[in-house]
Amino acid sequence: MNNAILKVSDLKTYFFTSRGIVKAVDGVDFELRRGECLCLVGESGCGKTVTALSILRLFDSPPGKIVCGKISYDTLNLTKCSSKQLRQIRGKDIAMVFQEAQSALNPVLTIGDQIIEQIKLHLPLDHIMARDRAITLLSEMGIPSAERVMSYYPHQLSGGMKQRVLIAMSLSCDPQILIADEPTTAVDVTIKAQILDIFRELKAKRQMSTLFITHDLAVVAEIGDRATVMYGGKDVETASVSEIISNPKHPYTSGLIDCLPDTSKSTGRLASIPGTTPNPIQMPQGCAFHPRCPKVMKICSRQEPPETTISKEHKVSCHLYT
Amino acid sequence: MTEMLPDKVRRISQHLRSNTRLINYYWQRTKRNKLAVCGLAFIIFLVALALIGPFFTLDPTVANFEKKNMPPLGFTIEQSIYNIETDEYTTKEISGTWEHPLGTDSKGRDMLAMIVSGARVSLLVGLIATGIAIILGTIIGVLSAYLGGWVDNALMRFTDIMMTFPFFLLLVLIIFIFGPSLAFIVLAIGLTGWTGIARLIRSESLSLRTREFIVAAKALGASDNRVIFHHLIPNVISLIIVIATLSIPGVILAEAALSFIGLGDPTVPSWGIILEAGQYSLNTAWWVAVEPGIMLFLTVLAFNFLGDGLRDAFDPKSNV
Repeated sequence: MNNAILKVSDLKTYFFTSRGIVKAVDGVDFELRRGECLCLVGESGCGKTVTALSILRLFDSPPGKIVCGKISYDTLNLTKCSSKQLRQIRGKDIAMVFQEAQSALNPVLTIGDQIIEQIKLHLPLDHIMARDRAITLLSEMGIPSAERVMSYYPHQLSGGMKQRVLIAMSLSCDPQILIADEPTTAVDVTIKAQILDIFRELKAKRQMSTLFITHDLAVVAEIGDRATVMYGGKDVETASVSEIISNPKHPYTSGLIDCLPDTSKSTGRLASIPGTTPNPIQMPQGCAFHPRCPKVMKICSRQEPPETTISKEHKVSCHLYT
Repeated sequence: MTEMLPDKVRRISQHLRSNTRLINYYWQRTKRNKLAVCGLAFIIFLVALALIGPFFTLDPTVANFEKKNMPPLGFTIEQSIYNIETDEYTTKEISGTWEHPLGTDSKGRDMLAMIVSGARVSLLVGLIATGIAIILGTIIGVLSAYLGGWVDNALMRFTDIMMTFPFFLLLVLIIFIFGPSLAFIVLAIGLTGWTGIARLIRSESLSLRTREFIVAAKALGASDNRVIFHHLIPNVISLIIVIATLSIPGVILAEAALSFIGLGDPTVPSWGIILEAGQYSLNTAWWVAVEPGIMLFLTVLAFNFLGDGLRDAFDPKSNV
């Protein structure tokens, strides 16, 4: 059963700041399997984005540093790669789509220039072939009159169009893995639906392995195969999406699901998890979630919960199940 | 291969078309500032004058003592002439002629020809020295911001030292050591003038560096070189254009000032050199000093107006 294309084990990325060590990612394990869409779920500040950035080592260093852990891709351990090796992997093998399309495109270059640059960087194509490829990609992403869009500057496109351009750009060199960092957060609902369609299509047509980062469980339910829930820089629960939603084990996961608005009940307050995300400089002792946990026990504040296997595909880190 | 050429032509023409649109946009914004347009017109006139003027004027180096100190067209002065045979002064009225519309200097050289060739020198000094300063300033500023850490610290402290060092004293020192050759003067001005530019470019690049498209470019495999030259520098081009326009007059003035205190290159007739020569004959031939002075004044003003206009046009926050 070795169809994992990317395996992250015990990854710890710390930021050494003047105010203290920020343990943004503090021991994350997950594996992305070939052709699946794995969702990384959690609230803001739980380390989802830093996890993604760590895979391609894109955070600022210093202050950031991967202090331990292993990221296996192919036969490589990405944490040990030289920056030159890593540069060849970025875009070619592992591509990333960013949250805000507006700021992820260079405002002074045309769309065409940016995509062609990217293609020529990794593939042995001349300008005209690269251009053709770019136009094909843009049309595939559902951009009308792609040839004209090539000469546009980013500010001439709408938000949804820009997000498509970004996705087209990250797909331009046929990457093995696509990391999408909240690509649906900054767009409105109709665009969100269209973008999710694109991702669904990618999976169907290209068997793309996608690491999809989001805080939105509705999105997870839409496109995810499996999901890993993160809290306080750690993964707390991993299972298939249907299992996570119908049978959440970790109190945090159930809390998140309870927060989803239920349209069958029109009245009443929306549920929320009390408290706020912990300060990453001073994580609570033991289980990071214990100060907010409705089922907190004595052991929770003393000891970190080990990972427990509920079923073959369902793992959770909580003292309730040990 | 036969199909590729028209395709290439089409691509380039398309690129130019898409660029004219942008240039047109900024032109529309700049156009609303009348002073900037006047400045631009004067600069275009000056460049044309410097480029093709010397083919139409007299030779600025030919002296003719018979016709020395002739006033400009439309002016008449009284000149006393010493006659060596009779040992007495006779007074004669001299008016400007069409042959020398701007008059002649104390050696009988045509002022128009000197002003025109001076324009060539002054513009060249302005452009080359500013070019050197801009290139140095941009490289140092961008590197400092992009690399950060100790590189940033070292480069910025070096900039501080360069800034606190008295600029004029340094110029005088360089010229004293290497001699008053125009090439050294230009080089010296360029090599000392980059400090402020480096600071501005650094601060602009610092905010650009954290923008998502830079991280995105890296995420798609761009090297540091590529990020700097493809993504950072194109984004500070508008700033560079404005700084360049605003620093050209300073450089022209610096050269004139050096010439004026006698440290200019005496073999090249820049406006500063003409001005310096004219100051001794202010009471007999005021135009020799005034004409290059007016030209300097107008040139500096024109560049400043244009620079202000461009700055407003490039600034998305300003409502021109």
